[in-house]
Amino acid sequence: MSATKRRNENPNQPRVKRNTRAGQSESLIDLVKLHRRIASGSASRLLQTPASSLVTLFVVAVALLLPALLFGLSSNLASLLAGFQDSAQVTLYLQDSVSEADGQKVSDDLLTRRDIESGYYVSPSQALDEFSASSGLEDLLIEMTANPLPGAIVLTPWDVSPAAVDELARELQELPQVDVVQVDSLWLQRLAAISNLVSAIGSVLAVIVILGLFFVVGNTIKLAIESRKAEILVIKLVGGSDMYAARPFLYTGLLYGLGGGILATLLQIIVLATFNSNLEVLTQLYESDFQLRGFGLMSSLLIIVAGAAIGWMAALMASLRHIRAINP
Amino acid sequence: MIKFDNVSKRYADGQEALSDISFEVSRGEFAFITGHSGAGKSTLLKLILAMETPSSGQLIANGVNLNRVSATQIARHRRQIGTVFQDHQLLHDRSVYDNVALPLEICGYPPSDAARRVRAALDKVGLLKKEKSFPEALSGGEQQRVGIARAVVNRPSIILADEPTGNLDPGLSAEVMKVFQQFQSVGVCLLVASHDAALIERFNCRTIVLEGGKLLADQKPRPLA
Ligand SMILES: Nc1ncnc2c1ncn2[C@@H]1O[C@H](COP(=O)(O)OP(=O)(O)OP(=O)(O)O)[C@@H](O)[C@H]1O
Ligand SMILES: [Mg+2]
Repeated sequence: MSATKRRNENPNQPRVKRNTRAGQSESLIDLVKLHRRIASGSASRLLQTPASSLVTLFVVAVALLLPALLFGLSSNLASLLAGFQDSAQVTLYLQDSVSEADGQKVSDDLLTRRDIESGYYVSPSQALDEFSASSGLEDLLIEMTANPLPGAIVLTPWDVSPAAVDELARELQELPQVDVVQVDSLWLQRLAAISNLVSAIGSVLAVIVILGLFFVVGNTIKLAIESRKAEILVIKLVGGSDMYAARPFLYTGLLYGLGGGILATLLQIIVLATFNSNLEVLTQLYESDFQLRGFGLMSSLLIIVAGAAIGWMAALMASLRHIRAINP
Repeated sequence: MIKFDNVSKRYADGQEALSDISFEVSRGEFAFITGHSGAGKSTLLKLILAMETPSSGQLIANGVNLNRVSATQIARHRRQIGTVFQDHQLLHDRSVYDNVALPLEICGYPPSDAARRVRAALDKVGLLKKEKSFPEALSGGEQQRVGIARAVVNRPSIILADEPTGNLDPGLSAEVMKVFQQFQSVGVCLLVASHDAALIERFNCRTIVLEGGKLLADQKPRPLA
């Protein structure tokens, strides 16, 4: 009775305020405990229907995986590109009139430039030897009286950015001994364009997937709410807000997103392992050790966080909409 | 605290459950609402709890105009009211303890504080030993008492009880009424719908009699001889 007497002094004042003021740290721990209980309640409900939960989880994972794989492919192409640019070469084809000695001299002079890392001279006869060795046309070439190949200087610039390489090429074109300057950049540009395209497709797909996830998670939440209508009604009757009633469902959505994100990063490992074992055959042919890289820690975390955020948001929208509709 | 002003309630199917009801109940007042089955007792309580809206007339409870309320206002309004439902309205997947703790959890009470209040409320209705049971495992009367404990645990400003003693024997009924009277003595406004004539007779409180949705009589307590 003493408790109710206290109540009498101040019958209409909300009593909660007084309690929260009592101890901030204690109430924070209580809050964490409460949310942990709600979350574990939501988790155990998911485990009660393992089959349908797993299907939803898998759908979420695959949906997250598709755009992520495209972004991954795009970034792999970009790094492949960067690898080639590192070894960007500028080839100067010299005039026919330039002798071997002069050619060697031009090459040595160029090596003193600050913007050139390394380089070497290829005399017309060396060029012919190399060509005949690699083409397998030795017999035919022996028949030829004159060597049709010009001398060349192969340079590796310090700065491999396309602009710097172009600038260098333009300067070298001015040299009187130089006939043609060739920068092998066109196919690099094409590869870069493909990489951008893949990334753009990834972005569009990401938008579609987010919308799809809202639908999938929203629908799952809707069914969960329908099956717990009586419970939600009781909560509302004793004064629980829509947001309060929605809390367990927000955790359900969060868990789907989180689980889907984790599953997506695991699936990604399997997909890449499969690709890489096929890629090995191809890269061996090209004497390359190129490998598709996985998402990496940051990207994996991003997928998991994005999944969780989408799941939570989808659940928020769906639950508030459907809980609002539940009335006595 | 509760003011009905020419309130009528017509359900969607055209059934007029209440017509032209006017009365006022103030703080610390205890009133029975009685009448035959279908007289409109539950409807009257549902209007106060904002489970239904009046078709016409004005209804104000606890300072809230119930003719026009938002969802947020309704939730806040219901937190100030302890309700015993005719059909109990318990959560069947939660223990007796958790059922009674629900209003406190909604208001954000710290668990240690809540635990004390839940046990005190369960003690008042004699169910302290059953706190770990689930509603299905309880008798009708025990479920009813869980509902009563839940209605009083939050120390509301208004208590609405719809047939709170319907499943209780006279002894238990009397105890429940005593619990209600304790709240009356600290300024809580109580409305108890009942057709238990003996109980109403015995407790000698204000009695509002409904008949076919109309207010037949509003009897003040008999003066003590
Ligand atoms: N949701 C509803 N829709 C339509 N009619 C309703 C609804 N609820 C109640 N009624 C009608 O309103 C009238 C009053 O019902 P109410 O439940 O208020 O009676 P009561 O006095 O509580 O009866 P009881 O003692 O049996 O509980 C009844 O005729 C009933 O049929
Ligand atoms: Mg009734």
